[in-house]
Amino acid sequence: MDITRREVITKIAKTGATGAVAVTVGTHAVREEGESIPIPSTAVGLLYDATICIGCKACVAACAEANDTPPDTRLDGLHQGPDDLNDVTRNIIKLYKPTDGTPSSYVKRQCMHCLDPACAAGCPFQALAKDPETGIVSWTADKCIGCRYCTITCPYHVPRFQWMGYNPRVTKCELCSTRLERGLKPGCTTVCPTGAVIFGARTVLLAEGKRRIKENPGRYYENKVYGETDNGGTQSLYLARVPFEDLGLPEIGPESVPAKTLRWQRRFYQYFALPALLYAGLVQVIRKSVKGHVQDAHDHEKETGLRAQL
Amino acid sequence: MSALTSNKFDVLLTAETRTRPEERWERAVPVFGIPVVTSSFLVLVGLTLIALVLTGYRELAGLGPVSGMTDAFGWGIWKTFNVMVLTALGSGAFAIGIAAWVFRRKKLHQLMRMALLTSFLAYACGLLLLGIDAGRPWNFYWIVFPWKWNMHSPLAEVAICMSIYAMIPLAVENIPPILERLWYFDSRLRPGVERMEKHLHSVFPYIIAMAYLLPGMHQSSLGALMLLAGERVHPLWQTPFLPLLYVWAASFMSFGCVAGTTMLCCLVWKRAMDMDVLDEAARITCWLIYGWAGFRLIDIAFREQLGTAFRFDRFAGVFWIEMISIIGGGVLLQQSLRTHDKGKMFLGYVVSSLGGMIYRFSPTTLAFRPNPQALYFPATIEILVSLGFIAMGVAGFLIAVKRLAILPGPLYLWHDMASYFRFRRPYIRWTGYFKYGFFGEDEQISQDNSHS
Repeated sequence: MDITRREVITKIAKTGATGAVAVTVGTHAVREEGESIPIPSTAVGLLYDATICIGCKACVAACAEANDTPPDTRLDGLHQGPDDLNDVTRNIIKLYKPTDGTPSSYVKRQCMHCLDPACAAGCPFQALAKDPETGIVSWTADKCIGCRYCTITCPYHVPRFQWMGYNPRVTKCELCSTRLERGLKPGCTTVCPTGAVIFGARTVLLAEGKRRIKENPGRYYENKVYGETDNGGTQSLYLARVPFEDLGLPEIGPESVPAKTLRWQRRFYQYFALPALLYAGLVQVIRKSVKGHVQDAHDHEKETGLRAQL
Repeated sequence: MSALTSNKFDVLLTAETRTRPEERWERAVPVFGIPVVTSSFLVLVGLTLIALVLTGYRELAGLGPVSGMTDAFGWGIWKTFNVMVLTALGSGAFAIGIAAWVFRRKKLHQLMRMALLTSFLAYACGLLLLGIDAGRPWNFYWIVFPWKWNMHSPLAEVAICMSIYAMIPLAVENIPPILERLWYFDSRLRPGVERMEKHLHSVFPYIIAMAYLLPGMHQSSLGALMLLAGERVHPLWQTPFLPLLYVWAASFMSFGCVAGTTMLCCLVWKRAMDMDVLDEAARITCWLIYGWAGFRLIDIAFREQLGTAFRFDRFAGVFWIEMISIIGGGVLLQQSLRTHDKGKMFLGYVVSSLGGMIYRFSPTTLAFRPNPQALYFPATIEILVSLGFIAMGVAGFLIAVKRLAILPGPLYLWHDMASYFRFRRPYIRWTGYFKYGFFGEDEQISQDNSHS
């Protein structure tokens, strides 16, 4: 809720004012904004190394404890056994096991905390927003209208909607931001027995990932840290032996989904200038039409003796 | 003029005028002689009431128990059918309005009242359902704080533009028939009504221009919604031009909806059809359809996805059903222009609109592949609520055309109606559109007319 006066003024100017017409059309400033992705100053994240994960799911339990979510026992009524991320599961370990005997792998799924998150790009009232400092993408209950657009836009299919109850919530990993404030690490990273998932600044984690690739040539798929550039870069980084696509991390390319798809949308609505211009033109044309139409209607009224219908 | 009208069977019909002069639509005339409350109307009201009760249940139980929506298919028919598809059918005020007001196709003004009414009802029902579909609707109040909008979100665009559009331009454009009703209702209201009409006409250019900008923006944003879904939408549908194709499809579908509904009403209530106006609409529609289909095929070819249309799977099936019905509808319309066949024209409108409906429905549902196993089928309650809100719109339409001058008709129909109300039901004064506000009080206009 902390909006400065300056911000209010600039936002109002952005949304409605026709005065901004001259500033925008075809200038370079327009081109810049949508396409460069600023990296948060102190971006934090996770590095998950699928090759040393043993699939013990300690992180799943720790995540539930840290976020105070009830255990998901819907599978058999007894064990905590979520089959996927859902309304009470922010973190899950899955097993990828191909039938043809090629290497299998565990994968930890949680929010990727993209540098240019598609969920936040689509969110109508900024309920999902990226923290400018830590880069954590988190959900605010007070702004969410429950439209579930985030569940459609996220290329990793992470945010999940609560389908039961009159007050549904959207659940996703928020990197235990409440724990971070208290100086604690995210729940999942505190319990991992093999150190398959570690927490730290994104730059440090990226360097660590590259070091592992360098020291173990041939161990990692394509010698690549997933998330360095994928989808414009993410703050959760992955190392794996098997193709990332098989682990549910699609091949997106270095351009983020919003930058790729909403480019024209963003240019068109920049400062609301083009719509305002279009409106002014339409008014001019229609004014003349209305004049002619009223004249016709009155002529017709004279002719028929019945009151004009406009 | 008099020579024409006196000789009824004198065939002076050329290629330009297919309509006999006395059958020309000159005036919107209410449907008279039929009660509003009929058995079919009661069925519609019943459906609406069922939907309202189920809505109450949905608000308490949440979306899961009442719908077939899952984590994979986060959007069900409430959004994908009632909003995406039905507001496309209800874009008549946008498409026909642009043709009539911006491109000055004057004949189409006869269809404008129908277009405005259907648009308003489609949007009102769609918006209501959008509110029911939202999981946390109480947070909609952010809509009044522009600096909290995410201006680049297509969904914000849709939600904001749609609400403004339905509440301001569409509502205002629908006021004239109501004012007209008041004018005929009681002569004591006339000065006030005339004053209001004057004010209304002075703001009309601004309101009408808004009524084309806003739907143009949100109908295209409805297409832009699925851009963010990326490759999960089948490549036959997913294209950077999705917004353009969506707004384009909405324009030919709404022509079909408005002209088709008007034809149906004329058929049901035995009114004359002005084939000049309908021909004009059909001509525009069929060229809109050809342009749309051509553009879509070229776009698919340029993205090198034409091969996927010839695979043997359900996506190719849906694609061909869409394309064949849309283009087929266009061909039928074109033939009807040549052979002067009303049945063919009506069929053309129905078929092309159905194809357009499937097209608008596909990217979110039929061609949406969140994962290979995921399937979506609406639950019974979901279907009942969806139907109930459609029934509400249809019931509203029936009330409106019977109480207000919406449907176009020839001049003699107006006189028939006036004498019907005067002589058959004089005891119910408020049903009347006849020339006298009070009995015995004559009207000014007819005196002006007498000496001309």
